[in-house]
Amino acid sequence: MNDRRLGVYICYCGGNISDYVDCEQVREAVAGEPNVEVAKTTMFACSDATQQEIIDDIQGLDLDGIVVASCSPTLHLMTFRGVAERAGLNPYQYVQVNLREQCSWAHTDLPALASEKAVAMVRAGIAKARYTEPLQKTRIETVPRVLVVGAGITGLRAALALSDLGISVYVAEQQERAGGWVGGFGSMYPHDGQGRELIGSLLTEIERRDNITIYTSAELVEKSGNVGDFSTTLEVSGERITLNVGAIIVATGFDVYQPEAGEYGHGSADVITLPEFKQLVDEGEGPLEYRGKPVRSVAYVYCVGARCQSNGNGYCSRYCCNAAMHAALVAGRRSPGLVQYHLYRDIRTYGKFEKLFEQARREGSVFIKFTEQDPPRVERYNGGNRVTVKDVLTENRELELDTDLVVLITAMEPRINPTLSEVLKIPVGLDGFFKEIHPKLRPVETVIDGVFIAGAAQAPRNSAESAASALSAAAKSAALLKRGFVELEPLIATVDPDVCTWCDDCSTACPYEAIERTPYGDREVAIISEAVCKGCGACAPVCRVGAIDLRGSTDRQIKAMIDAMEVVHV
Amino acid sequence: MDYDALVVGGGTAGMESALSLGDMGYSVLLVEKEASIGGTMILLSKVFPTLDCASCIATPKMAATFHHPKVKTLTSAEVTGIDKKPDGTFDVHINKKATFVDPDRCTGCSSCEDVCTVAISDQFNFDLIARRAVYIPYSQAVPKKAVIERAGTSPCTFACPVGIKAHGYVSLVRSGLYEEAMDLILEDTAIPGSLGRACYAPCEDDCTRCELESAVPLRLLKRFAADYYYEKYPEPKQGPPDQLRDEKVAVVGSGPAGLSAAYDLAKQGYRVTIFEADEEPGGMLRYAIPSYRLPNEVVDRDIKNVTALGVEIRTGERVRELAALEGYNAVFVACGAARDRTMGVEGEDLDGVFSSLDFLRRANGGDPPDFTGRKVLVVGGGNVAIDSARVARRLGAARVTIQYRRSREEMPAFDWEIEGAEAEGIEFEYLEVPVRFEGVDGRLARVESIDMQLGEPDESGRRRPIPIEGSEKMYDVEVSITAIGLVSYTADWRDGGGIFGDAKMSADPDTLQTALPRVFAGGDVVTGPSSITHAIGQGRRAAHYVDRYLRGVELSPQSFNGKLPAVAKDEVLTRQKAFRYMNGDRTAERLPQERIGDFEEVELPLTEEEARASAARCLDCGGCSECHQCLSACPAKAIDFSMRDEHLTVSAGSVVISTGFELFQPLKKPQYGYGRFPNVITAMQMDRLLSPTRPYNTVLRPSDGKIPENIAYVLCAGSRDCRVGNELCSRVCCMYTVKQAQLIMGALPLADVTIYYIDVRAFGKGFEEFYQQSAAMGVYFVKGKVAGVDEGPNGNLIVRYENIAGDGEVVEAEHDLVVLSVGMLPNQDALGLFTHEQLKHDSHHYVHEIDEDLSPARTSVDGVFAAGSTAAVMDIPDTILHSSAAAALAGAHVERVRT
Repeated sequence: MNDRRLGVYICYCGGNISDYVDCEQVREAVAGEPNVEVAKTTMFACSDATQQEIIDDIQGLDLDGIVVASCSPTLHLMTFRGVAERAGLNPYQYVQVNLREQCSWAHTDLPALASEKAVAMVRAGIAKARYTEPLQKTRIETVPRVLVVGAGITGLRAALALSDLGISVYVAEQQERAGGWVGGFGSMYPHDGQGRELIGSLLTEIERRDNITIYTSAELVEKSGNVGDFSTTLEVSGERITLNVGAIIVATGFDVYQPEAGEYGHGSADVITLPEFKQLVDEGEGPLEYRGKPVRSVAYVYCVGARCQSNGNGYCSRYCCNAAMHAALVAGRRSPGLVQYHLYRDIRTYGKFEKLFEQARREGSVFIKFTEQDPPRVERYNGGNRVTVKDVLTENRELELDTDLVVLITAMEPRINPTLSEVLKIPVGLDGFFKEIHPKLRPVETVIDGVFIAGAAQAPRNSAESAASALSAAAKSAALLKRGFVELEPLIATVDPDVCTWCDDCSTACPYEAIERTPYGDREVAIISEAVCKGCGACAPVCRVGAIDLRGSTDRQIKAMIDAMEVVHV
Repeated sequence: MDYDALVVGGGTAGMESALSLGDMGYSVLLVEKEASIGGTMILLSKVFPTLDCASCIATPKMAATFHHPKVKTLTSAEVTGIDKKPDGTFDVHINKKATFVDPDRCTGCSSCEDVCTVAISDQFNFDLIARRAVYIPYSQAVPKKAVIERAGTSPCTFACPVGIKAHGYVSLVRSGLYEEAMDLILEDTAIPGSLGRACYAPCEDDCTRCELESAVPLRLLKRFAADYYYEKYPEPKQGPPDQLRDEKVAVVGSGPAGLSAAYDLAKQGYRVTIFEADEEPGGMLRYAIPSYRLPNEVVDRDIKNVTALGVEIRTGERVRELAALEGYNAVFVACGAARDRTMGVEGEDLDGVFSSLDFLRRANGGDPPDFTGRKVLVVGGGNVAIDSARVARRLGAARVTIQYRRSREEMPAFDWEIEGAEAEGIEFEYLEVPVRFEGVDGRLARVESIDMQLGEPDESGRRRPIPIEGSEKMYDVEVSITAIGLVSYTADWRDGGGIFGDAKMSADPDTLQTALPRVFAGGDVVTGPSSITHAIGQGRRAAHYVDRYLRGVELSPQSFNGKLPAVAKDEVLTRQKAFRYMNGDRTAERLPQERIGDFEEVELPLTEEEARASAARCLDCGGCSECHQCLSACPAKAIDFSMRDEHLTVSAGSVVISTGFELFQPLKKPQYGYGRFPNVITAMQMDRLLSPTRPYNTVLRPSDGKIPENIAYVLCAGSRDCRVGNELCSRVCCMYTVKQAQLIMGALPLADVTIYYIDVRAFGKGFEEFYQQSAAMGVYFVKGKVAGVDEGPNGNLIVRYENIAGDGEVVEAEHDLVVLSVGMLPNQDALGLFTHEQLKHDSHHYVHEIDEDLSPARTSVDGVFAAGSTAAVMDIPDTILHSSAAAALAGAHVERVRT
């Protein structure tokens, strides 16, 4: 035992705990424990009055650790860390015991045993508190600059947004010109905005900003440092430029699925992909012509390279139904009387895009549903193409459609860039797109702190959705940088270099690449980056020699907790 | 600028916007109208396509928002208007709704919920179950504080001149808490036994149940509680207060006004003495109201409530000069209106002509005249006339006739009194008035009367009676009782500096203070004859201002009676999603031939069963019934019924609107049977059934609690459907349906799940894979829009659809539960918020995004941004992106207006 002076507070939670756990019995059982200077019960530990009482005890009794046995730490860990802080006690010398969720609520049928379990839990909490250490958050100064990789609509929009928020931006574009896919588009859904004009307006505005620099023919080749303070190297037309930035936004966009030769007739004349068709309807005026011949009929085949269980991609690529529907409407405007067949599996004109579908039907497009098991066949016939399809909507009748043009509605695919992947080490999902921390709540953040993903690099999406994603990434990186520093939780892993033998097991186990090898005297040992480690604990149990410990949950603390629980006899 | 940004609505979008802005260092005010932030996500079971527990991912977000150092969160608050200012910033008007629970004291322990006597349909469980009127929205609420739902004062409580919490005691009786009901009544009146019998019950006239079958019998319920309590406690529970004050108060008159003032003052520790001229206390209660309506024992027990507090009643002491009350710090004069108006006709002083009060006083005071075999003529049309006639009947009169100068329509007596008299064989002569009493040997023998006709309305609004010349006639009668009205008489006061007139006293109508500051006056002596109930109200008002006077506090006229406005009845009937017409209550009375033989009570009490059944008819108009159970149950003393809405105005640099969406109301698709067939539910209800915080411990169907085995989902219920005005796709329904199907597969492994769809729209990241996974798990997907749902035997449902993927035939399939995958509609609350500029909407009434291509979330008002489903229905991932995008734009706007 040591000379720690601990305060223990056992909460009734207004009955939530005390109805099933005899809190007074628990208090009596632990009051005499070594190091316990004061043990009290309280109706509500979280109430302002009790918080003040704890502060008074810490100061009056000169406590150097407190244990509150109440509810889940998700509710009140921060509350009582705050109490400690206000009393002048290091917040990491506070231990919470979850008597409510883990004891009273779980054992409403066995109050006597629940009380015994509560005693054991509080004893364990005391044992843990006995070996707490004062810890400080790690503070890292941040650099108020962002590197955006990719100068498509996503990258440019993010750059402008950051500039608006007072943050300097470098944009690195692999191509010779900024603009990406949208820079080559004419009319886009849903508002008939002209892609080229949108990009033009962004570039014009960016030119006016002195805190945005665009590098074209540029590639990110090196990255070092950590969140808030990265050193990055671009190779710009053979020249290397080093940029010091606080965050990186990856907006590298997408590729289009390239059908294999023969896939739905691809490769033969008059069978084109959606981007090719879009270019056809975007350019020129008057009735559509292809290879010098008027186009009087079109068959669109949907889900090419998407939603395929066997080949291609398993995912739905989201934008294609809408884009095809819109292109068909534009084509219909140019060629009145154009006969259009849409061969689809499910029409996914989600949300307001339903209007596009409705308009296409209204204007005479014919919709034919097929199944993945029975896809349409495209064959040359009579100098044109014959599409044979079994139509689900008409009792699977086989239809033969002779059309001037077959348009394959091709999916978005992740853009593969091996250099970038190597440099940034952002994980990719099963679909090949960059993987976010959480697809629902944290879609632009990655497991690499300070590295964000936006636009179609994260998942298939349209231009406007990419702009939203770009703004989101701008907000998140600005949040990181505008404060000037980041504070990192000190509850992370530590290595005892005198014990470590560098076997590499820990760095393999680490999901965050936080562990590297470093010279130590004449040996090499593991070193943990404080800025990168998340304190997940994956490394500690794999260490063969017990060199790794987790702050806040040290081996010593865990063993003491287990020992403390054993003394209870049922 | 008070805040850099205002965020309206604390759902997923609002929280994300607020957090993004706060993280960027901008100060944020987040205003949420519900009692917790969290919006819809926190109510879901799990979320697609990750199957994260919604609570697990939402709760940290809620806590992070609420505890963010740059974000100030106001819950139970509504933005009522926003003014755009020329400098690009905004003035925001906010109504902070009273929650009646002090959030600083409340610890979220739920003790109040345990004792609350009002059940309200739980909006957070989509009406599957009920919650209490005082409630914490759900177990993960942030902040976890109780609030009390009060739509206003319930009409019954509002109508009560005494201020008795009528709704409160009804809800207590309904809960079987009879003693508590009486304790509540005793908060406001000392004489519930009397009121339970003789109150004219204005509460019942205003009861919303009147719009259905009949009023809740509030008066009889009060009597029920009083009878129960008085039997249990022959002597009062309450004694004098622990702490007495030094000040002494004199009350003149022990009628309802005087007793009530004394009661309220004594409870506050004042030393009160009542001076009563009669031999027994009670005033009109004892002497004017016949004991078949109000037995003297009840009056006696009521008065004990007053004397138990230490009030001294000095009977037989007629005070007629203030000088006699010199030793008292304050005086309340409530000596009533205890004289009959005289008719001023010849022969009024004959033997056999009684004034009504003299007559009733003798009858009630143990000295009844013998009317055996007499013919009695009662003159007058008020309640006192009826009382006199019915007492005369009980004294053996052979024939009792009431003569009234107007017609029955104008008669001021209550209908039920007239009917009671009629049932007892009392005859009525309308449009007649005596002009002369004629005696033989000084004893009344005949009455000469004249017929009347009705002319123009007089100042009372009733048509004035005009004698018809030459219509005189004679009645042979031995007894006549004149009951043409009561008057007060104060001419015999010997001092008072003008506060006593000949007949009435004058006092401030609000504070009841007279021109002599220490003297207050109220009740009939000021107002003229009224009712017991009004007299009590006057007594309480006097006590309130006497207390203020004695404490040296200004007598501000508004301080008495801080009731919330009454709830409108139509609002109650609209709010109630379902109510039944129930049997009205019989008012049980003894048979007339029995009751005219004695002075026992005519009206029979409610049995316990009747009391609870009739209390259960209460519609809980105001929400909270003010039963005050939470007041005593709260260990933190956090309940505060005096709380009122607060209006604030703050300035903000930018505005984010994140008011979310509304769910499609499936009653608009009657062919799906929602609301008619109990086993047709919405997907939101199913989400609750599947949630970890679910209301039951399993999935069961509403009609019989059976665990369903064969569940159907109807997709596009209210979406892609121009017939219901929503041609748009709601984006999330396909996926939440697929999610629920997977969860059902886990919860009910034996159940079949069939999803009827048009297109399965699994378009987002990971969605298609999730859809394929559910198909592989055995969920049936049937292409076919459902045309109709009918109820079959055992509550099962027949779903009719066209089998599109087959041969197109119309198929009927039986399921034991049908879930409607309802769509989403815009919440239009924000559209009217802006005072100087119109916030534009698109053709579907979503907030219009003026530059969706490059600046999604930007609206027509510069500096205002729409986040999440307020601009277009979206799923959670898109909402998160859209909301942090709105935050980025709002931050940029703040940077511009700052410089």
